[in-house]
Amino acid sequence: MRMQDNALAVKGLTKRYGRFTLENVSFSVPRGTVVGLVGENGAGKSTTLNAALGLIHADAGSVEILGEQTLDAALREQIGVVFDANAFPNALTPEKLNRIFRRIYRTWEEERYRSLLREMGLPADRRIGKLSKGMKMKLAIAVALSHGAKLLILDEATSGLDPIAREEILDLLLDFVQAEDHAVLISSHITSDLEKIADYIVFLHAGRVIFEKPKDELRYRYGIVRCGEAQFAAIDETDRVAWRRQDYEWEVLVADREAAQRKYPKSVVDPATIDEIMLLHIKGETK
Amino acid sequence: MKGLLLKDFFLIRSVLGILLLVLVVVGGGMSALTSTWVLTVVATVMFGMIGVTTIGQDKTSGWSRVAGVLPVSPQAVVDSKYTLYLLLSGAGFALGGVIGLLGALVQPQADGATFVAISLAIALLSGSITIPCNFLLGEERGIVSLIIAYPLSTAVFVGASMIWKDPLTAGLMVAAAGVALYMASWLAARKLLPRRDAA
Repeated sequence: MRMQDNALAVKGLTKRYGRFTLENVSFSVPRGTVVGLVGENGAGKSTTLNAALGLIHADAGSVEILGEQTLDAALREQIGVVFDANAFPNALTPEKLNRIFRRIYRTWEEERYRSLLREMGLPADRRIGKLSKGMKMKLAIAVALSHGAKLLILDEATSGLDPIAREEILDLLLDFVQAEDHAVLISSHITSDLEKIADYIVFLHAGRVIFEKPKDELRYRYGIVRCGEAQFAAIDETDRVAWRRQDYEWEVLVADREAAQRKYPKSVVDPATIDEIMLLHIKGETK
Repeated sequence: MKGLLLKDFFLIRSVLGILLLVLVVVGGGMSALTSTWVLTVVATVMFGMIGVTTIGQDKTSGWSRVAGVLPVSPQAVVDSKYTLYLLLSGAGFALGGVIGLLGALVQPQADGATFVAISLAIALLSGSITIPCNFLLGEERGIVSLIIAYPLSTAVFVGASMIWKDPLTAGLMVAAAGVALYMASWLAARKLLPRRDAA
């Protein structure tokens, strides 16, 4: 894929903290797609997003956003960001935010913002401190969608929200990405949300990218072979992506479940969820 | 930068009532004991202090991360806080000055110029210390820097008074040093703070 087809391209991103290192992280977010960044707590998702946004200084690597490597004010106008928790002062109101942001964003779309507030049922004059967590998150998304952003970056935006609020937020993201030049990068450990909306999944573990794959490949091709000791021993090492021993069986992650079913007919081969794929990589053994 | 200042203005407006109440109680009490001109010092210090606390509030609320992704430079974020401090200290100085003047009209008091010089000296010296400290330290330590900076600035003024003997001259000398230190602090903060990670 050519670089200019990507809304975001991260290459070799490295950031060292005391005991944690984000190491050589590379992935891309093609235009017109939603990319889900998954991984357990502490895997490096937020560090990756913060480094991509220039909030922390990377020790190595490059980030290209909408074809630009310099994250200047003009480029920032085109990036909408939603953080994991409310980041607006509680004493403000959505209306005051409107007055603030129209002085900050040259591309601020006041009518769009007001319309989003109405659609989301957010009272313009209520103090942010009095809004529910779901409302605060919707407000952050309303802000992110009101300045002509082409790339949305969301860090755990659906965490801690009830299923209805999450569904509404996911619908907003799907609407946003209908435009071909728009793209979304969303980090989450709620993989069911990503299964609904993501086109690609980037899996981070211990500061490294374990894989970057189309979601449909994971859902429709990957599988888990459940078998006994003897059958496990018979599975070719080249077929095993990851594996672990459970109390009464072995679980083996395979990249092509139909081929595995044909090759190992005595074994049960189930579809793999993203959660299971993550678990096997983290808790199991890999090649 | 206007948007950043407006955000701080909204935050300060929400505590303005309490601030004015404290000013009336503390300033009123002190001016009854000394001179109404003392209100220039009290109001300048209190208003400036409120401006500095917005830096800690930004960190606590998460706004400092938001500011990091806005289409403004990191230098503009620093500029907004130094400008806010000057605006608020200036507002406090003007308010205290007007009250001091009114008091002096009712009952003539000769020490107005000295208090004006002390206000400028303490506000600028303290601001040059507390603003970078609040950027660099957490909210609690930032408040500690506020608690320390004002007595420290007062001590500098007292020391200067012992050298020059005349409080007005001492106040003017320390105010001049305060201007220089404030500018140096601002320039250093513009250069060094954006190098730090914002998240």
